[in-house]
Amino acid sequence: MARRLKFNIFRYNPQDPDSSPHTDTFHLEETESMTLFIALNQIREEQDPSLQFDFCCRAGICGACAMMINGRPGLACHTLTKELPEEITLMPLPIFKLIGDLSVDTGTWFRSMYEKVESWVHTDKEFDPKAEEERMDNALAEEIYELERCIECGCCVAACGTANMRQDFVGAVAMNRIARFIMDPRDERTEREYFEIIGTDEGIFGCMGLLGCEDVCPKHLPLQDQLGILRRKMGWSAVKQLFKFGK
Amino acid sequence: MTVNTTAYVRSPSRTSAYLDWLQMLTGVALILFMWSHMILVASVNLGAGVMNALAAFLEATYMAQVGGPMVGCIFLLHFILAARKVPFRAEQQSTIWKLSRQLRHTDTYLWLIQATTAMIILIMGSIHMWTVLTDLPITAAKSAGRIQGGFWLVFYLILLPMVELHVGIGFYRIAVKWGFARRKDRKKFKRFENYLTAIFIAIGLITLIRFLLLKV
Amino acid sequence: METTFTDVLCIGAGLAGERVAIEAASAGFDAICLSIVPARRSHSSAAQGGMQAALGHCAMGDGDGPDVHFVDTVKGSDWGADQEVVRLFVERAPEAVREMAYWGIPWNRVVPGRSTYFKGGKEYEKVEATEKEGFITARDFGGTAKWRTCYTSDGTGHTLLYTMDNKVVQLGVTVHDRVEAIALIHDGETCTGAVARCLKTGKLRTYLAKATVIATGGYGRIYRETTNAVINDGGGAILALDTEVVPLGNPEAIQFHPTGIVPTNILVTEGCRGDGGTLLDVNEERFMHEYEPEKAELASRDVVSRWMTHHIRKGLGVKSPYGDYLWLDIRHLGEKHIKTKLREVEEICNNFLGIDPITQLIPVRPAQHYTMAGVRTNKDGAAYGLKGLFSDGEAACWDMHGLNRLGGNSLAETVVAGKIVGEKIVEFLKGYEVQYNTAVIRSAVTKQQERMKNLISGKNGTEDVYKVRNAMQGELMERVGIFRNGADLQKAVDNLQEIHGRAKKVGLRSNGAGANPELGLTLKIQGMVRLALCTAYAALQRTESRGCHAREDYEARNDRDWWNRTLATWKEGAELPTLDYEPATETVELPPGERGYGVCKIISCDGEVIGEDN
Ligand SMILES: Cc1cc2nc3c(=O)[nH]c(=O)nc-3n(C[C@H](O)[C@H](O)[C@H](O)COP(=O)(O)OP(=O)(O)OC[C@H]3O[C@@H](n4cnc5c(N)ncnc54)[C@H](O)[C@@H]3O)c2cc1C
Ligand code: HEM
Ligand code: HEM
Ligand code: SF4
Ligand code: F3S
Ligand code: FES
Repeated sequence: MARRLKFNIFRYNPQDPDSSPHTDTFHLEETESMTLFIALNQIREEQDPSLQFDFCCRAGICGACAMMINGRPGLACHTLTKELPEEITLMPLPIFKLIGDLSVDTGTWFRSMYEKVESWVHTDKEFDPKAEEERMDNALAEEIYELERCIECGCCVAACGTANMRQDFVGAVAMNRIARFIMDPRDERTEREYFEIIGTDEGIFGCMGLLGCEDVCPKHLPLQDQLGILRRKMGWSAVKQLFKFGK
Repeated sequence: MTVNTTAYVRSPSRTSAYLDWLQMLTGVALILFMWSHMILVASVNLGAGVMNALAAFLEATYMAQVGGPMVGCIFLLHFILAARKVPFRAEQQSTIWKLSRQLRHTDTYLWLIQATTAMIILIMGSIHMWTVLTDLPITAAKSAGRIQGGFWLVFYLILLPMVELHVGIGFYRIAVKWGFARRKDRKKFKRFENYLTAIFIAIGLITLIRFLLLKV
Repeated sequence: METTFTDVLCIGAGLAGERVAIEAASAGFDAICLSIVPARRSHSSAAQGGMQAALGHCAMGDGDGPDVHFVDTVKGSDWGADQEVVRLFVERAPEAVREMAYWGIPWNRVVPGRSTYFKGGKEYEKVEATEKEGFITARDFGGTAKWRTCYTSDGTGHTLLYTMDNKVVQLGVTVHDRVEAIALIHDGETCTGAVARCLKTGKLRTYLAKATVIATGGYGRIYRETTNAVINDGGGAILALDTEVVPLGNPEAIQFHPTGIVPTNILVTEGCRGDGGTLLDVNEERFMHEYEPEKAELASRDVVSRWMTHHIRKGLGVKSPYGDYLWLDIRHLGEKHIKTKLREVEEICNNFLGIDPITQLIPVRPAQHYTMAGVRTNKDGAAYGLKGLFSDGEAACWDMHGLNRLGGNSLAETVVAGKIVGEKIVEFLKGYEVQYNTAVIRSAVTKQQERMKNLISGKNGTEDVYKVRNAMQGELMERVGIFRNGADLQKAVDNLQEIHGRAKKVGLRSNGAGANPELGLTLKIQGMVRLALCTAYAALQRTESRGCHAREDYEARNDRDWWNRTLATWKEGAELPTLDYEPATETVELPPGERGYGVCKIISCDGEVIGEDN
């Protein structure tokens, strides 16, 4: 028997002076292998064409469609309705600026994150188009890739109590990014330079180990482990500097 | 022309790192203290004499007179450090409450428990320490007297679970924050911590009963 | 109205757009990228398998070089490519891969020693050389003589795009995300920027630039069943078509990928077959080796897609409510391989199909995948028809893919062409000054404002935009798919013309306030139907089979009459595109011949018929 699904969807269009935050209810017949991507598009096409939400790849790889699904952040495109109860509540991600309904501005937040953590390889070497590439151990390449798999969906930020309380907290995603560059021998930044970026209360020492990030990351990045390693590394870095005055 | 180029290089502020170290270390110190404390107090279960002997030993070596106030200081320091993280602003409080209700996420709940118990411990712990330390020496008889009075029984019945929850969660939290418990160990570690908390509460309760029944 | 001035305006912040912006910014010019979504969500991030460059480090790539890559690419294109461009591309590809390594890609590397690999379901052994340890390695892809596809697990596009965007941030290039270009500003001769709609506020903006680059990717969403992202709906191609002077090259050249999963059409990478995965039919038996003894599952995409469709038509597909499909089998590759080299595939199977590819078969069938079609440019990336307009990446018809693109060649194209076109734009900009004509700008803007007003008020009619879109997608899917024939194509053209009429009458059901999504689609729908018509009409005219364009009524490749490239423009008020033709290639390094896979039926340049009764 097909279920009749009930969707409670947060609605607000800040661009429309007549709009105020409220919840709209929609009903849909559930179909086989229905995802929230299919459901939301169906609602938009058949019931309310003004409904705003974001999808891009619809394959769980671009990170565009994160939203609060029955209270938890997740990727709407890879959420099957059959795994949800009959009543489904959808809210936009907190923390990020609301664009309208379920759509939030992650672009601005992430760009400022890249700038803060200087999310690129820092090197003094020049690129020589004629030369062979530098060698790298394959196991190391795979380890870096493991951290590079983050799709910047923002789920880890939305699920983090610290980030929700403090706007200046950079979130697990930024910490993971730094961890990725620390691991990469091509990045010539020193421990001290990394420390300057992340060794603060807005960075790793602000993290209270709530592990919401770890538990909601749709790509299952090893956030808990990386945060632990980073805290230790940055902690020791501070201690080492304590005993190395003037340097 | 020569220019003096030795510009002043700003060294990064390491305050956050040190404070975090201290928060963790004071936490650890307090955990260790609470375990020793448990040995002292629970020793009454082996007989009033054992507790008295332990207390006397602490007294004779001045560990009580010096250690007591020191624990008080660590307690205070830990509070000051940890309080940096506690949301005192109403808006932040409601944010975190709302979030954890929405998320239905255990570890976030655990943190809320930690922060709430902390406030209670701060008040009750201080009163308790003041009472005991201004009334040295410690003897099983005195303790039993207090508890049989009723007020202190209720007092400890509240304080005990608060402390054990706080300590248990704090223990787990240090392990995950500093990377001692890795992703694959997390479940196991959490179970271990739950057992630990339960066992300590049980011992505490037995001790209270024992005090209640102790003939003064 | 917000107006922004810049030297280079890249419409698109995928790999192709950002690579151009990087080149311009490195030379000291201002560059701005526009994107519908935050840059890193661009569809480049979805590419899984890898990018081709003839490094020749791995054992199975030994002896590889640009010359071999050249031959593979031209054959893959079924001689539709511009050979001068292919040559340019293959020579620069290795450098591009290395530059990306220098910027931070964690390419998979050569691990020395003995290891096994699968081909056609059988296990073989290879030995990687010790002296190559740590160099960038490669995997096998369809239609290539050597293992040439460099990769990072199966997230190659993702790592490429993240690294590229890191570079963009480092150089301080501005990216305006959630901004959609809806018209070019031009006077019929020179392009001086674009009118765009902000998708945060819904407001119009103008961007004035000396050089404008269309790097908007593919437009698979004119088809119903596609592996493409939902934003790949043709905005960039429409910009060009709307100018009336800039032609689309080969609009009939639409690629179907053999392995979209059923029913969602999400792609599982060609790497699955490259790494040894096999295709099975309803009896769980292999069949590709019977049709293609030499290359089997690893013939080029057009060929494999056709044989799969053929096999399904023979009744050997697996039946389902979503239509018939076939199986992709990667079980024998083993858990370790799948969990390290095919991770996204594993996740997609788990999340969308609820199956475990380590122990279960994956339901697949061909789905629209790539538009070889695109804004026609010369080898410098300059668009035909307008000065100051450029294009690169999937949006462009540069044209190294001809009638069929090889897997792994398009990621490579984005970075190689991005670099080359970027260099050319820098040359172009040096000493170039432009006059911004306020009348031209105002008329471009007013026209868009009018359109928006009319759509919101429903002045043109009240057709439901989604219904029009669905009708168009269905039409292409049913009649302009993998196999084509004159009767169906004619019908498609007729029906699409009727749909085009409806597209002119769409009106909004909602109020259109702010970043209203209905308005976004409504603004585009007419252009989308025109793109569909270009495809169907050009396919109808091309009475031969070449690459992805397989005519059942003209099965031979006809080099005598059709060794050329279609150029489609759309004159305002017209009901059909205007089609012109140009030679496929001026330089001929590799004369037309047999591909070595696929059905071999050729009418050669001098009219000789080869392989008639094959
Ligand atoms: C699922 C999948 C897997 C693939 N795998 C491979 C592979 O393994 N190997 C390989 O070589 N190739 C692969 N390809 C092909 C390859 O990924 C693409 O061809 C290539 O990434 C296109 O890059 P691009 O920069 O041209 O366009 P895109 O990355 O699509 O970027 C387009 C940009 O334009 C912007 N844009 C579009 N319209 C507008 C507008 N109107 N205004 C403003 N901005 C606009 C978008 O927001 C986006 O930023 C794959 C493709 C798909 C769909
Ligand atoms: C005997 C008393 C106490 C013990 C044994 C104790 C122990 C601990 C421990 C081990 C931690 C974990 C430290 C860390 O995460 O770095 C902790 C955290 C905390 N403690 Fe206590 N504590 C005690 C008293 C208090 C008091 C009185 C407060 C009062 C405010 C307090 C507030 C907190 C808070 C808020 C945290 C969480 C900090 C964070 O997660 O960063 N604690 N405590
Ligand atoms: C140096 C300081 C301390 C000393 C000397 C001390 C001593 C004692 C003594 C003697 C008792 C027995 C009951 C009594 O005599 O009233 C007791 C019980 C108790 N104390 Fe402390 N204490 C100290 C600090 C603390 C702190 C900081 C806490 C927690 C915040 C704490 C929590 C408790 C609890 C919960 C009990 C009841 C124990 C049980 O039920 O087993 N004490 N303490
Ligand atoms: S770490 Fe995980 S949850 Fe956070 S942004 Fe990346 S993919 Fe999303
Ligand atoms: S949820 Fe937040 S507090 Fe730390 S462990 Fe994750 S970043
Ligand atoms: S739409 Fe790309 S992750 Fe969901």
